[in-house]
Amino acid sequence: MAPTVCSGLDRVEAEAQGRDLRGPCPAPSRPDPQLGPASPFAPAGLINGLCATRAQSGSAAAQLAWALPPSRLSALLTVGPPPMEEEQTYLELYLDQCTAQDDLAAPRSPLLSPVVPDDGYIPNTSNSETVFNAHLQEVKGASGHFSSVDLSFLPDELTQESKDQSVIKSKQDIEENGKTQSQQSRLSLPREQDIGLGLISDSTLSKSHSQAYPGDADSDQPSPEKPNSTPLMSITPMTPVTPVSECSGIVPQLQNIVSTVNLACKLDLKKIALHAKNAEYNPKRFAAVIMRIREPRTTALIFSSGKMVCTGAKSEEQSRLAARKYARVVQKLGFPARFLDFKIQNMVGSCDVRFPIRLEGLVLTHQQFSSYEPELFPGLIYRMVKPRIVLLIFVSGKVVLTGAKERSEIYEAFENIYPILKGFKKA
Amino acid sequence: MPGGGHCPDCGSTELVEDSHYSQSQLVCSDCGCVVTEGVLTTTFSDEGNLREVTYSRSTGENDQVSRSQQRGLRRVRDLCRVLQLPSTFEDTAVAYYQQAYRHSGIRAARLQKKEVLVGCCVLITCRQHNWPLTMGTVCALLYADLDVFSGTYMQIVKLLGLDVPSLCLADLVKTYCSSFRLFQASPSVPPKYVEDKEKMLSRTLQLVELADETWLVTGRHPLPVITAATFLAWQSLQPSHRLTCSLARFCKLANVDLPYPASSRLQELLSVLLRMAERLAWLQVLKLDKRSVVKHIGDLLQHRHTLVRKAFRDGTAEMEAGEKELRERCQGPEQGKEEVASSSLDLPEGKRPASPTPLLPPCMLKPPKRICPPPPVSTVTGDENISDSEIEQYLRTPQEIKDFEKAQAARQAARSVSNPP
Repeated sequence: MAPTVCSGLDRVEAEAQGRDLRGPCPAPSRPDPQLGPASPFAPAGLINGLCATRAQSGSAAAQLAWALPPSRLSALLTVGPPPMEEEQTYLELYLDQCTAQDDLAAPRSPLLSPVVPDDGYIPNTSNSETVFNAHLQEVKGASGHFSSVDLSFLPDELTQESKDQSVIKSKQDIEENGKTQSQQSRLSLPREQDIGLGLISDSTLSKSHSQAYPGDADSDQPSPEKPNSTPLMSITPMTPVTPVSECSGIVPQLQNIVSTVNLACKLDLKKIALHAKNAEYNPKRFAAVIMRIREPRTTALIFSSGKMVCTGAKSEEQSRLAARKYARVVQKLGFPARFLDFKIQNMVGSCDVRFPIRLEGLVLTHQQFSSYEPELFPGLIYRMVKPRIVLLIFVSGKVVLTGAKERSEIYEAFENIYPILKGFKKA
Repeated sequence: MPGGGHCPDCGSTELVEDSHYSQSQLVCSDCGCVVTEGVLTTTFSDEGNLREVTYSRSTGENDQVSRSQQRGLRRVRDLCRVLQLPSTFEDTAVAYYQQAYRHSGIRAARLQKKEVLVGCCVLITCRQHNWPLTMGTVCALLYADLDVFSGTYMQIVKLLGLDVPSLCLADLVKTYCSSFRLFQASPSVPPKYVEDKEKMLSRTLQLVELADETWLVTGRHPLPVITAATFLAWQSLQPSHRLTCSLARFCKLANVDLPYPASSRLQELLSVLLRMAERLAWLQVLKLDKRSVVKHIGDLLQHRHTLVRKAFRDGTAEMEAGEKELRERCQGPEQGKEEVASSSLDLPEGKRPASPTPLLPPCMLKPPKRICPPPPVSTVTGDENISDSEIEQYLRTPQEIKDFEKAQAARQAARSVSNPP
């Protein structure tokens, strides 16, 4: 049974990968009026990774569901694509909303959207908690609807499960801040596998809990007799297991992406400059055509050898789309342009830690990495070794990170520097 | 002149080593008589006129060193002598130059860069010995551009893997203040403006320390801060006579260049002093402004540690904490939170000043110039279809091309007419 669980979940997860938005995407444009802003304590972290895939991988989920014995795992999966003819059962409704909430949560990957500062953290969670409780009442009442699968335990289990899950999730949130959502889900997978294994191996549910989370400090939960919101209320939103200081809660924003692509044909720059409205070409000043497009707002340097540099995009996908648009323009001008070897060469991100930094102190303690010359430049240049990123740190607390080939390098670099900067917070 | 030879003709000792084309000759500078010619074969009388050979010439070490490197090393030594540095500095700087020269990138660099490299080596040596030499001084001496200097400096520090300590502020204050020509009366300096060096130095140091503590120094060029601090120190030592003197006039009197940011540093320093003055009991009644606070700088500096602590809150701590404390203070008698001397410095509740301002660098206190809008949600995948119409908007129609070519031709013609060959 265990292998089935793993593979099925992996497959489901793999499908989710393509859809997953990376780490700190800002709030999606679809605001759900019923739910508050996203919360890291999304109910039933078990559902979290799986419900996100509901929309696309219904069949896979269904296949997986029927392969397993009646366990909670399968029960939750089956409610994905409704096996029953009832359209909107209460549980369905609840799970729909969970999905929506997870959609809101997923792009933000335990964090808030980048523009929301830390002070927004607390209101968010309490908001969603109350919402969740409201739904829980509904779910509890409607448990009798499902006949083929025993879901009468669901409300109580959900409470218990979600509490454990949310505690685990919070640990994850704090520890793996800034990682991509896919990584987040992957990390939550082992937990789900544990649950699956624990549930399968033992018929009684209370025992399964303690087995599923052996390392969890909260594993000795009272048996889930209380259906109400009390267990949830006892999880005060702001008591994560690991101290908050370990996560920064700030996500660097990407400001610029530089990429190169090979159009693989010789170009006549004069012809391009003549036929294209958005091109400028001054051979005496620079031996390339400078072309600009409006959407995504970018600039390209097109050389006569057929190589092109695209700058100004705010994300990797935008950079790729822009490069393709430039290639299309060149194509339309009559050149046999292709799109070879698209590569992101540099990524620049910036963020604000919101406290002043004693640069003199920082250069004293991190001499081998830092270079601070106030006579030349007001910022401190910190050359991080792993990952190989250069950070410009200013007295106002603003940090610029550059030299990355991958988005994760920027996030990792910031997470590395944040505790160092906090050490220099005080005057 | 070394050696100890006499000219056989006129008997003068002024013998000069001069070379006639490639032959080295010893010539009398008075009468022009050639005393010795070539050194391959010497007669007994010639030997009396021989010069001692310097070590560097006898060992042949310069044969392995290229001319441009030799020139560079000579420049390094000259610069060290001009700056009157100790002799050990000279050797270190020469060693750095030689080390740099081993890299091919430096060997192939332009002469301008090699010249600037001389300054970089001297600067690094001074920094490592805590000798306060600013980049501005070196650039002025070399007639070099600061941009070129900064590029070469950063490159050489990285290339040689050197650990260069920061500029020592206290030493820089001492050196810079000593260069002010205000310590003796002169035709340009009225007697009322003359000041005692020690008093001015100590007060300037205290003001610079205060500026450092209140975030006025971090990230900024150090020299303008010191100029502003020197000016305030000088003014405050005899305010009655000196308040009328402006910063520009002060620098002119003292024969020192006025750096451009010094006036804004002065304003920042004065505002810090004013906020401190609000916490001093006998000054609160006086309603000071930026001119009158100068008279009380002495008092403010005496209690500066306490006053800074009271006048400013740590910018990152929640404002509620500060406000809460203020509320507590308003309720009851003074708490023991303050220092021993400070209880007498506090006014009764009625005249309590506003809640403490955050202690932040000036760049954080100013309101942001423009609010950055949150980036819009982008659901771009990078593989979307690109519509033809979108691409067409960037292409010129045939008619437009013809018009454009016509316009270009007309412009070319106009240009060639206006610039007749």
